[in-house]
Amino acid sequence: MKEKLKEILKNGLQKVEELVDLKALDEVRVKFLGKTGELTQILRGMKDVPAEERKEVGSIANNVRVKLEEAITNKLCELENAKLLADMEKEKVDITEPSKGTKKGALHPLTRFNNKFMQLCVEMGFTVIQTPEIETDYYNFEALNVPKNHPARDMQDSLYITDTILMRTHTSPAQVRAMETMKPPFKIVCPGRVYRNDNDSSHSPIFNQFEALVIDENIGLKDFMTMVKEMAVRLYGEDVKMRVRPSYFPFTEPSIEIDATCQMCKGKGCSLCKGTGFSEFFGGGIVNPVILEMSGIDSNKYSGFAFGPGIDRSVMVTNKIPNIKYLFRNDLRFLKQMK
Amino acid sequence: MKISYNWLKDFVDLTESAEEVAEKLTVSGFEVEDIIYVNKHLHDVYVGHIEKIERHPQADRLVVCQVNVGDKNVQIVTSATNVFEGAYVPVSLEGASLANGVEIKPTNFRGVKSDGMFCSGEELGIDDNYFEGASVNGILILPKDSKAGQKIEDALMLNDVVYDVNVTPNRPDCNSVVGIAHEVCAIYGKKFKNPDYAYKTVGENVENYISVDVKTKECPRYMGAYIKDIKLERSPLWLRSRLHAVGIKPINNMVDITNYVLVEQGQPMHAFDYKYLDGKKIVVRQAEKGEKITVLNGNTYELDESVMVIADAEKPVVIAGVIGGVNSCISNQTTETVFECAVFDLKSVRLTARKFGLSTDSSARYSKGVNINSPTFALKRALSLVYQLDCGKIVDGIIDKYSAKLAEEKLIKVSYAKISKILGIEIPKEKMIQILSDLGVESFAQGDVITCKLPYLREDLKNDNDIAEEIIRIYGYDVYNNVDGKSFEGANVTVGKFNERLSFENSLKNILVDSGFYETLNYSLYSASACDKLLLSADDVRRNVIKIANPISEDLSTVRTVMAHALLLDVAYNLSVGNKDLRFFEVGRVYQPKSLPLKELPVENNRISLAVCESGFDFFELKGVVENLLLGTSLEYKLERSKEPYLHNGVSADVIAKNGTVVGSFGKIHKTVLKNYEINQDVYYAEFDTDFLSSLPEKQFATKEISKYPTVERDLAIVVDEKVTNAELENAIKSACGKIFFEVKLFDVYRNVLLGKDKKSMAYKVVFMSEDKTLTSEEINAVVNKVLKSLEFRFGAKLRQM
Repeated sequence: MKEKLKEILKNGLQKVEELVDLKALDEVRVKFLGKTGELTQILRGMKDVPAEERKEVGSIANNVRVKLEEAITNKLCELENAKLLADMEKEKVDITEPSKGTKKGALHPLTRFNNKFMQLCVEMGFTVIQTPEIETDYYNFEALNVPKNHPARDMQDSLYITDTILMRTHTSPAQVRAMETMKPPFKIVCPGRVYRNDNDSSHSPIFNQFEALVIDENIGLKDFMTMVKEMAVRLYGEDVKMRVRPSYFPFTEPSIEIDATCQMCKGKGCSLCKGTGFSEFFGGGIVNPVILEMSGIDSNKYSGFAFGPGIDRSVMVTNKIPNIKYLFRNDLRFLKQMK
Repeated sequence: MKISYNWLKDFVDLTESAEEVAEKLTVSGFEVEDIIYVNKHLHDVYVGHIEKIERHPQADRLVVCQVNVGDKNVQIVTSATNVFEGAYVPVSLEGASLANGVEIKPTNFRGVKSDGMFCSGEELGIDDNYFEGASVNGILILPKDSKAGQKIEDALMLNDVVYDVNVTPNRPDCNSVVGIAHEVCAIYGKKFKNPDYAYKTVGENVENYISVDVKTKECPRYMGAYIKDIKLERSPLWLRSRLHAVGIKPINNMVDITNYVLVEQGQPMHAFDYKYLDGKKIVVRQAEKGEKITVLNGNTYELDESVMVIADAEKPVVIAGVIGGVNSCISNQTTETVFECAVFDLKSVRLTARKFGLSTDSSARYSKGVNINSPTFALKRALSLVYQLDCGKIVDGIIDKYSAKLAEEKLIKVSYAKISKILGIEIPKEKMIQILSDLGVESFAQGDVITCKLPYLREDLKNDNDIAEEIIRIYGYDVYNNVDGKSFEGANVTVGKFNERLSFENSLKNILVDSGFYETLNYSLYSASACDKLLLSADDVRRNVIKIANPISEDLSTVRTVMAHALLLDVAYNLSVGNKDLRFFEVGRVYQPKSLPLKELPVENNRISLAVCESGFDFFELKGVVENLLLGTSLEYKLERSKEPYLHNGVSADVIAKNGTVVGSFGKIHKTVLKNYEINQDVYYAEFDTDFLSSLPEKQFATKEISKYPTVERDLAIVVDEKVTNAELENAIKSACGKIFFEVKLFDVYRNVLLGKDKKSMAYKVVFMSEDKTLTSEEINAVVNKVLKSLEFRFGAKLRQM
């Protein structure tokens, strides 16, 4: 009897070990543990076992059952797991196939540049304002120290509507409107469109500028340069270099043109920067006290600086846009590259 | 402004190279935009002396010349017929690259070697105006006293370097050689050498010959001189060379002298032929309406009172400050002349030049402003040239009529402390005073005050800031290239703030980008025909457009009052180049005048517009985009059929705010409009007023407790007349459900003739929920029956049977 049980255990474990599918596993279970299974048969025959051995045989038989059941359960887990893996293998996809669903579009590069710059200005304490694009001669010229027939008007070919109303030629009227309505100290920045009577391969009649104005006490050129340098670093990175040149604007005195490391060639020299490694960054200067007084600000107490670059060129350079006309052409093949 | 380097040397001792001077001018505020080398095409060209001419052994039309070019002899084969033994000619040798693009290499002409080529005037870039014989059809024959071997650029005085200087409008005094020379002196701390003003007269009195009467306010000063016994001839080569370098055609000594003074002193002049001045009078006056004048460019202009003229007793002879008339100009027969040296008001000259579309060297200078004192020096300079060239006899006396006060040397007081504050860096007081004096501004310091004596030409200097700029531009702006140390000392803290509308627009932009849209930028100027293309009715307020008075082109002649035009053009353009699946948006402005012609500034309204041209896209997808956009706002709105003329009237809606304002519209573009833009696919369009939307109060949220009890859903498909709308049905369902209504959603619309004529089936999912118990199916059934009855009663709706 004991020998038989040992035999059953050995056979059973071996059978379970050899199994490869779930169906056969069930057969093995029936064969050994089922109602007519080998072990069951043995157990049924227990009554024929002498009483003094019955306890011992019973214990061995039970042990055989537990071991077989355990082996079957383990095998079951193993086989089920294998099937799951096989099923998952069948679901495998080609991950290089294209994605589905609505694809994102893109902001215009100009908006992205503007947003970045406005963020920067607000962090530096500027208030973002907006002023009209159709302006009076007073705000566009006279209040900026450019009286009628002043030669400085030649610098800007204007689009006129009437003798006294025109498409603003720069965002500088925002300076005057701010000075008239805000109390110093203040910092303002005004992004927007400007218009010129100019349309050729390198000029667009409509382009974008922003105007920044700081009015405070004790402000000088060095403060101006410190702020501009910080802006350049945030826009172009730590290793940006600056260069200052004299310039002329009727509303600032002294007036300067500030160049920063050319972002096309990173200062190595290219056709855009004519080999100098620098390209125009901001133009501006110390607000002419005449302007402050005209707008009702005490020039003995307050001083300030103003600057206002065209940003289309910066957008072109930072995005390596080959032609200024792309900015307004709205060709999907161009816009898609801005994702 | 063209400035000759050689000319500068008349007034400054320069050993520095032309390139270095250019660089220094640029960094001190006079940007040299271009450096032009007059001798660019003249290297390797020499004066040659033809010693012997022989016939070419193989070619009848060629001759072989032995030519001495100084230290060596060369052999030149030529077909030119005007050369002769003993002639001096320009010889271009190997390496030369001529003005017409010819590169010189030794060549073989039928077995005979030629070391180079003889040159014509044209090949050297000159003509008869510059050098006698330069326009002949053949080789330029040089004067007999030429030196063989001399560089041709030296022999012909074409060895100058010319700067194209950008003179800023605040420095009209620098539209002259002497003005720039003063700057060069300041840059290098050199002394300015005065021009030669000396001349001798021959007695008599100018007033015996000519009288001047100034009858207009626009001429603050008029000076004149009289010269007789004129020897009219070519100017000497040095003078022609100067004019040629800066691009002025030499004509004859009298005219050349006036042009020379214009360039050197920045003072326009005019020379009259005295014998044609009727009444021996010069009258400066405004023209009479209808007067005519034929001027030197050959055109005849009809004048009016706005034009200032120089006239004689009878007729206008010059358009003042702009151009001379042919009736009194210097000609070969001229024997006596009157020099005019005047100041005309810059506005008057500017307007006249613009009126006739004339831009002359003279009008350009007057338009920038000529100093009241300038004629004093300029006239002296012109007369000294007449004397120096010995080309006429100068009569005693000068006519000088002026109404304006002549400028005096002005004193201004500035503060050292204030200048230091403006600059933000330390420059010693002594250094400042040194720089100012180099600029011709004699200055001295007393405590904090610096007193500056301004030269009469420096009308631009008025306050501390002006003086600060003078100091720093000469001191050098490069001190600011690397700023460090403390800044903003004594300044205040300001708090930054975004612009609400711009931020709002950005949030809309981001929603659209997430929905697959690309942002476009469009011109806010367009053609007036946009209103027609968009089918705006005759009384549409948007037809009141603002017109540009001086438009670039018809396409850019009108300030836009409608957004849609731009995006439709974008769609048409993209389709034309083969782009598909277009989703575009734009944030921009329209400009609506309050009245026309414009008396006050118009209303500028900010808007967002979007257009979709994509297969499978429909009105309801567009509606979804619109809803997503409006979801971020607190706008409560209803939809009505749109009144936009450019939208399909059956497939479009206006979004109307509670107060009745039309906030925007969306829908399919009208088929005629599509045709007008040559678009052959459906386009969906939407537009909103972002000024309105961004001004709404922030959206507020008030959430409720989540119910403990489950929701129950029932699907109802009902058949109704085609004209019954979803909104009507939804509202009816909602009100019939009463308290246990949770939500209702249309999930299918089905049309089939079997449903009946003009009928449709609308399938709704109705969701019920109670806040205080679990609903039983009896309760739900009762409510559903109530809903069906209500729908039948109100719309004749039937539960769908099939």
